[in-house]
Amino acid sequence: MRLQSDTTKRMLEIRNLHATIGGKEILKGIDLTIGEGEVHALMGQNGAGKSTLSYVLAGHPAYEVTEGSITFRGKDLLALSPDERSHEGLFLSFQQPVEIPGVPMAKFMQTALNAKRKYEGLEPLNAADFLKLMRERRKVVELDSKLTSRSVNEGFSGGEKKRNEIFQMAMLEPRLAILDETDSGLDVDALRIVAEGFNRLRKPETSAIVITHYQRLLDYLKPDFVHVLINGRIVKSGGPELAADIESHGFDQFLQ
Amino acid sequence: MNAATQYIELFEAERQRIDSHAPAPLNDRRPFAAEAFRRLGFPSRKVERYKYTDVSEAFAPNYGLKLDAEPLQADEQLLRKYYGTLANVEADGITALNTMLVQDVVVIHIPANTTKELPIQLTNTLRSSVPLMQNRRLLIIAEEGAQAQVILNDHAEAGQDFLTTQVTELFVGEGANVEFYDIEDTHERCHRFHQVFAQVQAGGRFTHATFTLAGGLSRNQTDVCLVGPQAQATLLGSAITNLNQHVDNNTLIDHRAPEGVSRELYKYVIDQQSTGAFAGRVLVREEAKKTDSIERNANLVCTDEARMWTQPMLEIYADDVQCSHGSTVGQINDEALFYMRQRGVSDAEARMLLKQAFASEVLAAVPLEPLRLRLAALIEKRFRNCEDCKLCKK
Repeated sequence: MRLQSDTTKRMLEIRNLHATIGGKEILKGIDLTIGEGEVHALMGQNGAGKSTLSYVLAGHPAYEVTEGSITFRGKDLLALSPDERSHEGLFLSFQQPVEIPGVPMAKFMQTALNAKRKYEGLEPLNAADFLKLMRERRKVVELDSKLTSRSVNEGFSGGEKKRNEIFQMAMLEPRLAILDETDSGLDVDALRIVAEGFNRLRKPETSAIVITHYQRLLDYLKPDFVHVLINGRIVKSGGPELAADIESHGFDQFLQ
Repeated sequence: MNAATQYIELFEAERQRIDSHAPAPLNDRRPFAAEAFRRLGFPSRKVERYKYTDVSEAFAPNYGLKLDAEPLQADEQLLRKYYGTLANVEADGITALNTMLVQDVVVIHIPANTTKELPIQLTNTLRSSVPLMQNRRLLIIAEEGAQAQVILNDHAEAGQDFLTTQVTELFVGEGANVEFYDIEDTHERCHRFHQVFAQVQAGGRFTHATFTLAGGLSRNQTDVCLVGPQAQATLLGSAITNLNQHVDNNTLIDHRAPEGVSRELYKYVIDQQSTGAFAGRVLVREEAKKTDSIERNANLVCTDEARMWTQPMLEIYADDVQCSHGSTVGQINDEALFYMRQRGVSDAEARMLLKQAFASEVLAAVPLEPLRLRLAALIEKRFRNCEDCKLCKK
């Protein structure tokens, strides 16, 4: 059985990644390779470093990479700014999306989308085409039109915030989506809508890192690989059966 | 020679020319104003309401006095009845200076139960080949049940020094409704002192919104007196500063009658090495029972060099009132900034959107919709012109 992708085209390669926040080391040597079109699940207890890894990939300024490298589609990811990483196709669905009062959701998305188009050498999308695209993508995650006319995430329920993350992913069409506990705070129906929306929106070559505590989301997203992260290191990698194993036996088996 | 002496000498030397240029009611007040100014001089920072602004530098140059060829004309009867009755020269050196030298007056009179369908716009564009001082008066009289919206726009041509003192007296009659907008969009070599005195009668409503988009030293002192029952006042202010700008909004809302309502919201975005100050005093007198008052000042300080002073004040001498006051000083929210950048918005654009968002709350409270939209565009333009913003530079 393949434990890391080796046959498909490589999208992301993480080598011996060490990262700290406020001088405290959280990631202690991560190695992970993700190929085009693959879904990797990342599981582990709270504090293991899952969210840290997603923040480091997205370029959060509070985290410092002290050792190792990250290559994204042949480029040195660590040399790129957070917005350049976004333009290159990296999307992070936040575990706790930030409320930004006073910044209208539509204006924010239009700014983001046109920045990406500019990066790709394309003309900005005109208002009519933008609104049409927004309407279309909103439907996929059944996001109420009222929400896109409000300020970014302001007054959204937990579930609405998560839908809004997937909606934004649909707008930006990333190559690699990192879903950081997108299932938390979602009821069964909302989870299905978000997961099915994600599946409908992704193209065959879209890759994903899915961070979750539960099997439920993985039932929908069908990971190709499952990794167990403990204390800043990947201690075990396997196929989908590993997630089922964790669901019934927990993480204790990996703690030594 | 200190600055105050310079203006007194100017007044004495030019007295005849000044008088011949203005209607009698203005001239009649000058000697009293000169007397008060002689005594008060320019307010030092020891004067409570001026503790956040040093006015001396702005008044130090000798601007002289330039008068138009045409003498001023205004309704003398109205002037006799209203002019100088709210703006007390004994209380403030700058009001006294303005009254002593006033050379420009606009009177807006809305008769009882009349509604002005369209807003009245006053646009001042300063243009001069030499450094210029102007001392202006605005008198707005809205009689019982009258309704009006007045917009004051201040602009200035680049490359020249300008000094403006303006005193505005506003009479809001019983059940009248007056919105007064003040938009200052000049440049760093323009200093402006605007003293607003408003009196609101029973059931009258007064809204005053000040937008300070660009200037050098800007000081707005606003005194509102709610003299009749159920009078309402709303004071809004938005200041966007950079370079060496200094903006000081100093307000007093004086509740003198029962069941008055006052709302105050001032927001500042302070960038680069600019400074801001807000001091707002709400006074609820013993007779002002059931007063309802909310005062809020919030500030976004964008650099380590920028400074903001804030002082909300609430004095209550009446029973059974509902009053609150508060202020905050904060910085750009780093988590919001990162969230936006993750979606592909550049650092500069994200910061601009966050500043705009911060300022938008005051805009949202502006009742006059076309002006709200126009101001939103002006504010965006203002933020994009900031030196640290590279978006417009190709």
